Amino acid sequence: MKSFNPRAIGLALLGPAIAIVASVLVTTLVIAAVGSSPGDFWSTMFDFPKPRSRVDIVNQTAMIYTAAVAAAIGFRMGLFNIGLEGQYTLASYAAAAFAGGAYLSGFANVFVSLLIAVAVGAAWSAIAGILKTTRGVSEVISTIMLNSIAITLVGYLLNKYGVHEGNTVHTTRIDLVSGWTPFENRDGEIWTLVIIAVLAGVGFWVLLNKTRFGFDLRASGQSETVAKASGVNPHRMIITAMALSGGVAGLIWMPALFGKATNFGLGTTFQAGLGFLGIAVALLGRNRPIGMLFGALLFAYLSVKSNDLTFATDVSPSIVQITQGVAVLAVVVAYEVVRRWRARLEQRVVAQELGTATEATA
Amino acid sequence: MRRLTKLSAVAAVAALALAGCGSSDSGGSDGGSKPAASKDVCKTAKGDGPKIGLAYDVGGRGDQSFNDSAYVGLKKAVEEFKGSCVEGEASDGEPESAREDRLRNMADSGATAIIGVGFAYSDSVNAVAPDYPKVNFAIVDGFDPDTKPNANVAYLTFAANEGSYLVGVAAAEKTKTGQIGFVGGVHNDLIKGFEAGYVAGAKAVKPDIKVDIAYIQESDLKGFGDPAGGKAAATGEFDKGADIVYHASGASGSGVFDAAVEAGDGKWAIGVDSDQYLTATTAQKAHILTSALKRVDVATYDFIKTVNDGKPATSYTTYDLKNDGVGYATSGGFIDDIKSDIDGYKAKIVSGEIKVPTKP
Amino acid sequence: MTQESVAVELRGIGKRFPGVIANHDVDLTIRAGTVHALIGENGAGKSTLMKILYGVQKPDDGTIAINGREVALRTPTDAIANGVGMVFQHFMLADNLTVLENMVLGAEKLHGIGDRARAEIRRISDAFGFGLQPDVLVEKLGVADRQRLEIAKVLYRGACIIILDEPTAVLVPQEVDALFANLRELRNAGNAVLFISHKLDEVLAIADDITVMRRGTTVGTADPHTTTKRELAELMVGSELPSPETEESTVTDTVELTLANVTLADEFGRNLLTDVSLSIHRGEILGIAGVEGNGQAELVETIMGMRIPGGGTIHLGTEDVTHWHTRKLREAGIGYIPEDRHRHGLLLDAPLWENRILGHQTQAPNAKGPWINRSGARKDTQRIVAEYDVRAPGIDTPARALSGGNQQKLIVGREMSGDPVLLIASHPTRGVDVGAQAAIWDHIKRARRAGLAVLLISADLDELIGLSDTIQVILRGRLVGTFDPASVTPQDLGAAMTGGQAA
Repeated sequence: MKSFNPRAIGLALLGPAIAIVASVLVTTLVIAAVGSSPGDFWSTMFDFPKPRSRVDIVNQTAMIYTAAVAAAIGFRMGLFNIGLEGQYTLASYAAAAFAGGAYLSGFANVFVSLLIAVAVGAAWSAIAGILKTTRGVSEVISTIMLNSIAITLVGYLLNKYGVHEGNTVHTTRIDLVSGWTPFENRDGEIWTLVIIAVLAGVGFWVLLNKTRFGFDLRASGQSETVAKASGVNPHRMIITAMALSGGVAGLIWMPALFGKATNFGLGTTFQAGLGFLGIAVALLGRNRPIGMLFGALLFAYLSVKSNDLTFATDVSPSIVQITQGVAVLAVVVAYEVVRRWRARLEQRVVAQELGTATEATA
Repeated sequence: MRRLTKLSAVAAVAALALAGCGSSDSGGSDGGSKPAASKDVCKTAKGDGPKIGLAYDVGGRGDQSFNDSAYVGLKKAVEEFKGSCVEGEASDGEPESAREDRLRNMADSGATAIIGVGFAYSDSVNAVAPDYPKVNFAIVDGFDPDTKPNANVAYLTFAANEGSYLVGVAAAEKTKTGQIGFVGGVHNDLIKGFEAGYVAGAKAVKPDIKVDIAYIQESDLKGFGDPAGGKAAATGEFDKGADIVYHASGASGSGVFDAAVEAGDGKWAIGVDSDQYLTATTAQKAHILTSALKRVDVATYDFIKTVNDGKPATSYTTYDLKNDGVGYATSGGFIDDIKSDIDGYKAKIVSGEIKVPTKP
Repeated sequence: MTQESVAVELRGIGKRFPGVIANHDVDLTIRAGTVHALIGENGAGKSTLMKILYGVQKPDDGTIAINGREVALRTPTDAIANGVGMVFQHFMLADNLTVLENMVLGAEKLHGIGDRARAEIRRISDAFGFGLQPDVLVEKLGVADRQRLEIAKVLYRGACIIILDEPTAVLVPQEVDALFANLRELRNAGNAVLFISHKLDEVLAIADDITVMRRGTTVGTADPHTTTKRELAELMVGSELPSPETEESTVTDTVELTLANVTLADEFGRNLLTDVSLSIHRGEILGIAGVEGNGQAELVETIMGMRIPGGGTIHLGTEDVTHWHTRKLREAGIGYIPEDRHRHGLLLDAPLWENRILGHQTQAPNAKGPWINRSGARKDTQRIVAEYDVRAPGIDTPARALSGGNQQKLIVGREMSGDPVLLIASHPTRGVDVGAQAAIWDHIKRARRAGLAVLLISADLDELIGLSDTIQVILRGRLVGTFDPASVTPQDLGAAMTGGQAA
């Protein structure tokens, strides 16, 4: 883990490299198959982004990265929290509704709203954890169900308590937290709460590598039985990890709420789908803080740049989703292959260094 | 290897989630009358008339509904005014910034008239329009989200409740069981307007008529792209005794038509937005009584025309029965016998004698 | 020996795996009509050699000749066609099928699946005294019967060279005797039997020829009539044979662990443990003997807090720990050497120093408050690696890369760290080489002298007798007898383990 020899780094980069090559290849083939020009597509995609796209990429990367961290907390202990989508939808609504209520002012309002987002996301996610520990319900199933329930619940609450305006309904508008404007005003701001992603990433790394809890989490992920024998309480661990994952998920959309959206409206201001993107990016980045950062950046870049496609090419922007999907699938397969190579390599290294290459496989 | 299997399963879920949900329609109201034209007007038109930007909602061109209808209006305008055009399409789950970026891209590329299809563009147009005072914007089904009026934005709204009222009249006159149904895609304010007009029209003819109401989704926009859900909802209403079901559920409507086909002779469905008889399959045609029309194409064309005439429309324009922005279809000839009755109600609405409710 | 034909002749067999030379320069000659014992410690390369002979693995070098003809065995099917059959340690039988069905499964073409097959089974059964009844369900059969069925299956498929992989590991002494009687019948009928074992008594009792393997190659042959156990053992280990021998008793009066009427039921309400009562004093090693699967694992997991007993109490010292969780028990000073180190003992993909932390996450030197003390853990790992002779390139090596013996030494070192008061040792020397075995025994004995209480569970009766101060026998979840290791024989224990003697 901590060896910095070139071969280890090479192996670590091999997985993503294979995945990227595969997704580029498949995307090119698909574009060619529908009769469009892959050359146009790639030249548009590789075109350096406009200033406002750069701002968007940063903002989107932050939200996708937060989602990926949320997913990774579960993944690292072998829990597949597919319910990020529902967790952050519900949490975003709750936080937006609270913030819109303006019970507090200024910074306090923002801060308490964030706490509410964390609490709601954690509570919603913990339901799946409790179902798993008490009833043995797979978290994959229960979180998918909870996704549907969450979005329906939010729609109901929004219809009942929201502000009806034109054909839409949303929570009360709030004052934005002004961000940083790196270019002209019209090119948009990098939102202040993008800092959430930074904190989530650093916090995740510290938690995982520096704390007892993180050790237990990783141990549980590597082997449930070993973790149990080492004194980890599996039930408590599952519920805690689910709640933690959901709590982080609750924060996913907060930068946008306070940076741009001003309100929560389904199909309008609220950006759905970040939870699924987060899962994909966690897989892509192998649940590693740095890996996921690159994954989030890649996905944000692809999504933002896809908007340019309709102007320069006749390729549908949806093609980008194929690129993303293939990248994730390829990375899972590629990593498993690389993992086996690595295991064999390590055994060989050990045998060589000990000079006693005579023990049979037990 | 169990590890790999589980990982792959999750990866597959993620990939599906990424790629598999591009069919929802936040407007919920389709209006195109024909499938996407094979010739792409924006690829070929090179005129030096007005340059028009058309930003589609999720689903984009080829959705046989809302977006296609806007394209029909665009095509007519571009050909008539010898202009050119540029298109952009929303993707599912895109952020507000992507919609803004799309509009800005169009304005930067020289478009003088930019139309956002669907109310989801309301906020983004509001943000972008002040930066481009020389460009004229329009939003189908849109509204101004703040109190500051925009001098260069037109909000094109439809009195969909009035069209729905007329097909409600038709349903009430044609029903043999005294019971009719309604299937909405998503239980939002837009679709509630359809429901309200439909129920009011039906009750005007038969005060004791029973109307079954069903929505495919409470709030998930998937309800506009879920034919199976539409079919299930409609089948439920047919089973309970309704013999005519009106849908306002976008692409889910094809499931409603299939339900009518399976329910058998004497069971009818009513289309929405466009004259859906024209795009239905042969089997479905025999069961499509009429359609409530919402002329997005007319609104699109009209707006472009005002820009071309140098007197761009701004603020709210409502398309209703009076200006033929909404209406009903007669294709198939199934309601020819009651056409005069329906037109009687239409006249009363136009004259203001009947006020059609907008909320159930 | 007389002029008998040679059934199998292996010459210069070599087999390399990545990082490991499993076999090299192996020469082996098996005469027809004999029982040939292949002995060697775990890891000596016996399993690989057998797999080569059975066509599971292809040798990199060397030749195989069967009945004088050189053959290439690419798959087990080739091996069977050449008359080589193998009985694995883990039986490959379908419980819900009958003896007949298991027998013909995959060999339907030989004698059909009806009366012809039934007659053939009876013929084989009678010829060698197997006592098989074709229409009995396999799930009704005991271990010994299942083993006979496996041997019969091999014969049914026409094998005349039969490989038995540690066949006695799963049997109690009386069953071993019966097995040997069957093997003699097989030998007398002209078959060649290759008998793999590391139990020297058994080898001397049954074998006609002995070949010894060590470090991947054959190091010699011996005549069972003239050789002694000690000589064989020295051939096997290449040095003097260690054996566990208890020194003077260090048992004190202080009771460290007490179980009173502990009962544990499974999810269907069947009792896995019934009224188990025992006590271990400081400085005492209590050995638990029993055929595997009689509740040993459940007993250990109950004491370790991994299962919650349905009845009874467990005390550690004077503290009632019946409902304590594993972590609290470990913090109270219980060391745990698990039966299955891959399932319960090690994170295979984690480096050694992280494995040092495992099970002691909350204790010094691994943790400071809620934080992991990385440098403390690493330093202590260095100590364990040095003191317990864990052969590894470094403490950043993943545990997976270590051999079984070195993995086990790391676990023992870890569990002995931090001055435990009680050690639960499940099969502490299973699958480790002789050198490591002796070292582990020494460590346990030293800790015992220092006042450690030890619960020792082992399938190796010599180990139990050699190390324990007291031996209790477990049978179907009950403790059925107490023995003094100074006077007990393996035969006595065997009888108690199979229920032949109630206490």
